[in-house]
Amino acid sequence: MSRDYPLGTIRTEQVWKRFRADQQRMLLRDRVDQMARRLRGDRGEDWRWALRDINLHIEPGESVGLIGSNGSGKSTLLKMLTRVMYPYAGVIDVRGRIGALIEIRAGIHPDLTGRENIYLFGALLGLKRREVAGRFDDIVEFARLGGAIDRQVKFYSSGMQMRLGFAVAAYLEPHVLLVDEVLAVGDAVFQQRCLDRMREVAEQGTTIVFVSHDLPAVQSICRRGVWLEQGTVRVDAGIKDALAGYRDSIEAQSEASARVGEPLQLLKYEVRGEDGDATTLHTDEPVTVELTLGGDYRGDATLHLGVSEGTSSPIFQISHEIRMTGGDHRVACVIPRLPLPRGRYTLWTGVYSIGRTDGGTLMSWHSAGQFDVFGPMLDTPPRAVVMAAPVFVPHQWED
Amino acid sequence: MGGQRAQVIDEQQDRAAPPGAPVPAGPPPELVFKRRLRPLQVAHELWAARELVRALAERDLRARYKQAVLGFAWAVLTPLALCAIFTLVFHRAVKIETGAAPYTLFAYVGLIVWQFFSNTMNQGALSLANNLSLLNKVYCPREVFPLATMLVATVDMVIGIGVLGLMFLVFWTAPAATFLWALPLLAIQFAFTYGIALILSVAVVYLRDVRHLLPIITQMGVFATPVAYPLAKIPQRLQEIYVGINPLGAVIEGYRKALLYGDAPDARMTLIAAASSLVFLVGGYLVFKKLETGIADVA
Ligand SMILES: Nc1ncnc2c1ncn2[C@@H]1O[C@H](COP(=O)(O)OP(=O)(O)O)[C@@H](O)[C@H]1O
Ligand SMILES: [Mg+2]
Repeated sequence: MSRDYPLGTIRTEQVWKRFRADQQRMLLRDRVDQMARRLRGDRGEDWRWALRDINLHIEPGESVGLIGSNGSGKSTLLKMLTRVMYPYAGVIDVRGRIGALIEIRAGIHPDLTGRENIYLFGALLGLKRREVAGRFDDIVEFARLGGAIDRQVKFYSSGMQMRLGFAVAAYLEPHVLLVDEVLAVGDAVFQQRCLDRMREVAEQGTTIVFVSHDLPAVQSICRRGVWLEQGTVRVDAGIKDALAGYRDSIEAQSEASARVGEPLQLLKYEVRGEDGDATTLHTDEPVTVELTLGGDYRGDATLHLGVSEGTSSPIFQISHEIRMTGGDHRVACVIPRLPLPRGRYTLWTGVYSIGRTDGGTLMSWHSAGQFDVFGPMLDTPPRAVVMAAPVFVPHQWED
Repeated sequence: MGGQRAQVIDEQQDRAAPPGAPVPAGPPPELVFKRRLRPLQVAHELWAARELVRALAERDLRARYKQAVLGFAWAVLTPLALCAIFTLVFHRAVKIETGAAPYTLFAYVGLIVWQFFSNTMNQGALSLANNLSLLNKVYCPREVFPLATMLVATVDMVIGIGVLGLMFLVFWTAPAATFLWALPLLAIQFAFTYGIALILSVAVVYLRDVRHLLPIITQMGVFATPVAYPLAKIPQRLQEIYVGINPLGAVIEGYRKALLYGDAPDARMTLIAAASSLVFLVGGYLVFKKLETGIADVA
């Protein structure tokens, strides 16, 4: 059962976790009520599973991206890996020192100074004072705290707390580094430095579990992806496959949310390539998008068209004024050279009336459907370098 | 590297249900998590967390002694004031008989013990509840929080003992040569106090309104414990049961005998108190460790 796994191993075997679903106040008098009800045979307890049957085997040095929508159980899983929380059932085995950044509020104690927190955290990780002292300057330098290091942590801004928390977790040489979706609090420069640091520690052999809604960032750090959905592992695969599956599901969900009762509807859309064949779109070749709108709105309006990959932020967006006459209206847009590399994309549209500052919505911005593009893959960026969005740039190298 | 990962995933898919297969409705009952306590591991963890205990205690003390005068007064004035009142009420009015020892010394010895107990109980009971956000962040053995409050109370007690030394000068008597008996009594006092603090601290997390009971317990306790009067005031045949429930009775009585009267503490009473405090300590610890697993869920 308890084989000796090397430091940095993470193993969960059939892990289950549940929480109370009913509102329970932590009061003695409520408990007395509850006891009385139980005597009458009414158990009155309502539990909800937060995690079900989680089996993960992570080897030392692996970098795993943990993705999933809000409430899918990512933070709960991380908390159980740090042993702050206990499973309802199953076995969790994490070998070695754990550095974790799960909540924004950094360090250990808000009443202690940043310096004291660093030493305390090191002590809890089992490091000697001397060992912490050796890394102290790195931590302060990385977190850019300067003189604030001798101020109480409770007076730090949330960005400073996060920086301290990350620096402490990432510089005290943990065997396992767990990072929840808190990096978003930092500014863009700091986020990039965090990603760089994570890449560094990953190369030194630290096991990483990284939770983020910034999917390109996850992709830039992690080689393996675990997609949690409603407390179960939906996909555990290479990061690209996991992200692709997750993106598809996000899009399917946003399509499903119906827009009934709006003045205009998208009746039909078509994305087709040069030879009129809708199934073959090619990078850097002409593409035509044809939309048919219907509804009883009459007058001028602005039609917006966008393309996204996975998230709801579009890669590009173009718009055009149209005049609706109460009947169906067909509009086509020709893009002479499609700037998208190989992949699956989502088409978004929306129509808004003109000249109204509140942007009177005729058809709200929504995803119409997906299309595939064939062509070259994008070149792989260096690790920890996050691509904002995939764009194909025609180019030639000379040397 | 890549090959290694691929192999892991394959292994995973071999043993776990295939993707999309329905997840069972609940875990197999034999897998339900049970807390297992290995004494060696527990001791090791506690030792590893000594820095945290020190830092937590230091934070409390520093906050208190930032204004040195007020901080000192906190440790000294409360027991002294109570001592003065007890001297007036119990010595002058009720005429408690204390033999060769001055009543003020007699009462002050009891008050030092009581003050230590009530400080640890009141602060210790809230030690988890006041640090809930922290408990969600870092793993450490949770018993360090009540332990740190006991450490703070110990510092206050040391100051109180210093004042006791001054009192011996004032009353022109010397502590009896039997004072070394105080050491085993101290162990009983610590064990009992920590056991109570452990139980209360975890109780307050789950039952937040228990904290409103603390002042009542404190106020009744000071009279229910032989602080102002000797243990002999409790009927002879009830004394053993009483000491079994409240070992502090035997502890205070023992200190008085050892320090003021030059006697050895009553062996029978001391043994009962020792056994009882051990039960409180071990029982409290087990309850604490059992309930500890759910703290982060309700935090
Ligand atoms: N302490 C708690 N008490 C009750 N429910 C909780 C608690 N913590 C998390 N949950 C519930 O468990 C589920 C998973 O939460 P969480 O792990 O925070 O999700 P994520 O981090 O993926 O957004 C959610 O439905 C959340 O409401
Ligand atoms: Mg979360």
